[in-house]
Amino acid sequence: MDYSFWNIAPIILFPLGAFVINAFVGCKLYRKGDFISVGAIFASFLYALRIFKDVIVDQHSKDFYVHKVFTWFDLSVGDFPFKIDMGFYIDSMTATMLLMVTGVATLIHLFSTFYMAGDAKYGKFFVFLSLFTSAMLALVLSDNLLSIFIFWELMGFCSYSLIGFYVEKEAAGNASIKAFMTTRVGDVLFLLGILAIYNIVGSISIVDIYSALAMGSFEGQSVIGVSALTFIAVCLFGGTIGKSAQFPLQVWLPDAMMGPTPCSALIHAATMVAAGVYLSLRMYPVMVAGGITDFIALIGVITAFGAATIALIQTDIKAVLAFSTISQLGYMVMGIGVGAYNPSFMHLITHAVFKACLFLAAGSVIHSLHDHHTHGHVQEMPRMGGLRKKMPYTFLAMLCCTLAISGVPLFSGFVSKDRILGDALYFGMVHPHKWMMIVPVLGFITAGLTAFYMFRMLFLTFFGAPRDEEVYNHCHKEHFSFTQNFPLLLLSLFTLGVVYSGSLTGLGKINIPVVGKEWFSTLITMPKVEDFTQREKVKMMDSHLPEKFETSHYHVHEASEMTHEEHVLHKAHSIGAITSIIIAFLGIFFAYLMYISKGLNPAKWESAFSCWNKALKERYYFDHFYEKILIGKGLHGFNNALAWFDLNVYDRYVIDGWEIIAKKIYLGLSWFDMKIVDAIVDLSGTIIRFFNVTLRTMQTGRIQFYFVVLFLALSGYMLLTRI
Amino acid sequence: MHRLLDWILWLPMIGVLALLLTPKEMTRGIKYISLFFTFLTFLLTLCLYGQFDTSLAGMQPHLEINHPWIPSFNIFYHLGVDGISTPMIILTGLLFFLCVPCSWKIEKSPKGFFALLLMLETTVFGVFMSLDFFLFYVFWEVMLLPMFFLIGVWGGENREYAAIKFFLYTFFGSVLMLVGMIALYYASGKDVDSFNLLALHGGRFSNLTIDLFGSTFAFDKLFFWALFIGFAIKVPVFPFHTWLPHAHVQAPTAISVILAGVLLKMGTYGFLRISFPIFPQASVYFAETIAILGLINVLYGAFCAMAQKDIKRLVAYSSVSHMGFVMMGLAAMTVPSMNGAVLQMFNHGTSTAMMFLLVGILYERSHHRWIVKPDGSKGFSGLATHLPKYTIFFIIGMFASLGLPGLSGFISEALIFLGTFPRFTTLTTLAVIGLLIGAAYLLWMYKRMFFGEVSSDVKEYTDMDCREILYMLPLGIAVVVFGIFPNPILDIMRASVGNLVQLLAQR
Repeated sequence: MDYSFWNIAPIILFPLGAFVINAFVGCKLYRKGDFISVGAIFASFLYALRIFKDVIVDQHSKDFYVHKVFTWFDLSVGDFPFKIDMGFYIDSMTATMLLMVTGVATLIHLFSTFYMAGDAKYGKFFVFLSLFTSAMLALVLSDNLLSIFIFWELMGFCSYSLIGFYVEKEAAGNASIKAFMTTRVGDVLFLLGILAIYNIVGSISIVDIYSALAMGSFEGQSVIGVSALTFIAVCLFGGTIGKSAQFPLQVWLPDAMMGPTPCSALIHAATMVAAGVYLSLRMYPVMVAGGITDFIALIGVITAFGAATIALIQTDIKAVLAFSTISQLGYMVMGIGVGAYNPSFMHLITHAVFKACLFLAAGSVIHSLHDHHTHGHVQEMPRMGGLRKKMPYTFLAMLCCTLAISGVPLFSGFVSKDRILGDALYFGMVHPHKWMMIVPVLGFITAGLTAFYMFRMLFLTFFGAPRDEEVYNHCHKEHFSFTQNFPLLLLSLFTLGVVYSGSLTGLGKINIPVVGKEWFSTLITMPKVEDFTQREKVKMMDSHLPEKFETSHYHVHEASEMTHEEHVLHKAHSIGAITSIIIAFLGIFFAYLMYISKGLNPAKWESAFSCWNKALKERYYFDHFYEKILIGKGLHGFNNALAWFDLNVYDRYVIDGWEIIAKKIYLGLSWFDMKIVDAIVDLSGTIIRFFNVTLRTMQTGRIQFYFVVLFLALSGYMLLTRI
Repeated sequence: MHRLLDWILWLPMIGVLALLLTPKEMTRGIKYISLFFTFLTFLLTLCLYGQFDTSLAGMQPHLEINHPWIPSFNIFYHLGVDGISTPMIILTGLLFFLCVPCSWKIEKSPKGFFALLLMLETTVFGVFMSLDFFLFYVFWEVMLLPMFFLIGVWGGENREYAAIKFFLYTFFGSVLMLVGMIALYYASGKDVDSFNLLALHGGRFSNLTIDLFGSTFAFDKLFFWALFIGFAIKVPVFPFHTWLPHAHVQAPTAISVILAGVLLKMGTYGFLRISFPIFPQASVYFAETIAILGLINVLYGAFCAMAQKDIKRLVAYSSVSHMGFVMMGLAAMTVPSMNGAVLQMFNHGTSTAMMFLLVGILYERSHHRWIVKPDGSKGFSGLATHLPKYTIFFIIGMFASLGLPGLSGFISEALIFLGTFPRFTTLTTLAVIGLLIGAAYLLWMYKRMFFGEVSSDVKEYTDMDCREILYMLPLGIAVVVFGIFPNPILDIMRASVGNLVQLLAQR
């Protein structure tokens, strides 16, 4: 397959076109134009399938393709070059991401036609969904960090709009602004990272960054006192922290559940939040060179553990899933930190599938349950229970996904999570600092917690007796419906581990049809930056494309053999696999004891850990700290003080003070003017007046008097001249 | 089309004459006449775009006009455009054209209002076209006159204070500029080129000194500051910014649009046209100071904006913040940053004009602009539910203003940052906080006004009507199109800006 423009671009252009059509005329179309959005994303899926077939199935995964599309800017002048090109970058990771995003998005679009039916803003929902999908796909295909940033922000905007979808709710406004602002903290760091890279490399394309790394362009460079590579790595990882809701910016994701459930499934579970991890994976060589992998591992494990503990006590079904998303993203980030490049990406894919399915299943449950007092849907698990019989298909899907996320063998979550934990254990074992063992230890504990809270959710929702009879009785028996159940069941099919890996438990390998055994772990490999310095530019032979469309084809060398540490690694993986299986089943067992057999009373446990329980309810006080103290007191206090100063002190006294001074001067001048100048003027006036008066009195009008004066004057003159 | 600049410059004045001949009772006629003349002028500015030769770095020779005006003092009527002034001229033409329909409902003597508005347009064009310092100064000063009356007569309840403050502030700056101009006149030897802005280019004054108050100063450094303050007041650069919130709050909508959209850019245009080319050494020498002032603008404006309870004051402070980015971009003097700064001048013009127009639309319905009323209750609630069309435009304007990629603000800010980062790393790192706060105050305002239950006041508002949509549409399109594809503007400015960067780099 050739990677010409028209073989790649339609993946983005279909949903983008659907966005444009629906944004302008959607409301006038049949069914508000939803079929356009669904059809467009399905068409994208078919294109993604072609790329996947070429790269993965036909085993071209060792190569990557860069396709320059156009020059966005060219401001070069004389000795000052400045040019930004936009293009596509395709390798095995891109191909897999594309297939995942389009596939999951297609099913979520389909489900949305069921879930959002009857909503007053049905059309608007699809407008944003299409815009979001095109932005996500464009991000995946981007060949440079600037366009990744652009689409990254656009996704943030869609996320903002969909979280605040129900504008009449005050809480939706709070949640949307919180999501946008919190992620933007990460975004500005990401932007700084891009600026620093551009400053050193002179380009922002991924290929140039890799080759600059290989050629050592970053050596000896520093940015505001720290090594440039560290600065860049921290900044780029800051982007991941924001977008993937990592500690300490995790606060926005639980609130983001204010949005409609399909958007939670697509944006806040499967794709956008995973984009943060995707960025760190793309920039993995930078992260390693920047020497911040330990930091990344710690952030990841803290997030994974902290979020899992909070999930333990949530009662809202979507809140459980939200915290579990944070926790699972923490696993991926931890995976990046411990060097589990491929397992981390694998977990990204498997998690996207099962978490999207979990959200859709939760949506299906929520949609079926009505509260006839508030005329709203029921999301609280204490009011559910026993839904297994009423919603068999949803239950089946939920069960598969819960097994997958809990790490039960044969399911996808086990395969990917176990590989991360194995690598984490190896990382802890060989790390010079012994205390870094905390990473795998907390990782394993989190696995147990995950199994526990997920089964808790499953049990509370589908098992036992109905706790709210009224809600239960009004729930209709589920009949198979294409839009409601097909996406769930298809997604749950992909929670089977065999799809991703031929080796499920380390006991022999199965040959997967089409792609072969262990395709995921062997075909998707870490980029080797040295390979990017050798380029063989192959001009496109496609004649109908203009000259500037050129495709570069890079051949990457075969991966080298495994190192001598293979033995330790293998040992770590064996221990890891067994431990994680045991821990997962322990978690499930505890959940069973608490919520099915009632052997343990959850209330007692809550009171036993009342202090911790309170902290969990408050989400470890992060939201409180940010909202009330940092923003409420700190930022707003500072702003109010500054604005008050600006208006009431600076403007009133310093600026208007000039007026006061001017007034003083003016008053002084006017005193001088009145008393001195005026007096002088007055004096001259007096003199004139004197003459005035004198002369006037002389003007008597009597002719005789004038003659007398004239006579006197003449005689006086004559007297004077004679003498 | 040799006299194109003449036509653009004086057509609004012909409109003023036409208005003066119209009886003041014919209010509709007055409005249509103003609309006709501003539209014709806008079309002519688009012709200017068509006539523009993007390969030329200097003035467009086929458009230049040069006649003696006061020959005994070597003062010329000298007009010309290059890549820096052309985007500003097009922006001016567009915004004045949109200001007429936005003032359609003005009741207080429309004849005077529109006559002054058209007069203002001529003076603004004059500033952007003059290549003679004296002519520039005349237009710069005459502009105060219509502005003073437009704010002082048609403004809000505290209009006189605001108008006088605006006048005195700007006048103070103008006096310093006058001193600088006269100094240049004498320093250049009173010859034929002594007011010619093009001939004064290139650091002729770098070795001069001047004795003042018994000590010796470097001529260029001293008068760089005289001109700087004159322009800085217009931008406005901290600490000369306090006239802006007053003027904006009191000014009628159209005047706020012109003020924020065009008049502020005259300050930064002054740096680009006069300060930088004439005093390149001093500019490079003081670049860091300018950048720091720009950074203060960015942060100070943003922080102050967040505390505002009046929408117009908030947008006014956001202008202070956004013009800070322009200042930083100018100070860095690199290719991307300078291009970004000029682009930001244009993009801020469109996005902030959109914001002020939207505030004006809301004000026409509510007769107040409180986000939070003085008694602590919400000024508006549930606008998004009740006014869907208005909300769409508001979102576009707001996100363009906060720099969302895909809308115009992002590209200019990204270019500025790409250019400033290598020169002022620490300052740029601090300036991105401005991006953060910039998003915060706008979104927070949006949240407080648009979300929630529809309040009883809001229920009575009508959504945007056809006239309002028509005058918002050009700005909305400009913001989106130039956000994705800024090349039409960048192509025009590229050569001229690059030329200036090279000139500065030689020093």
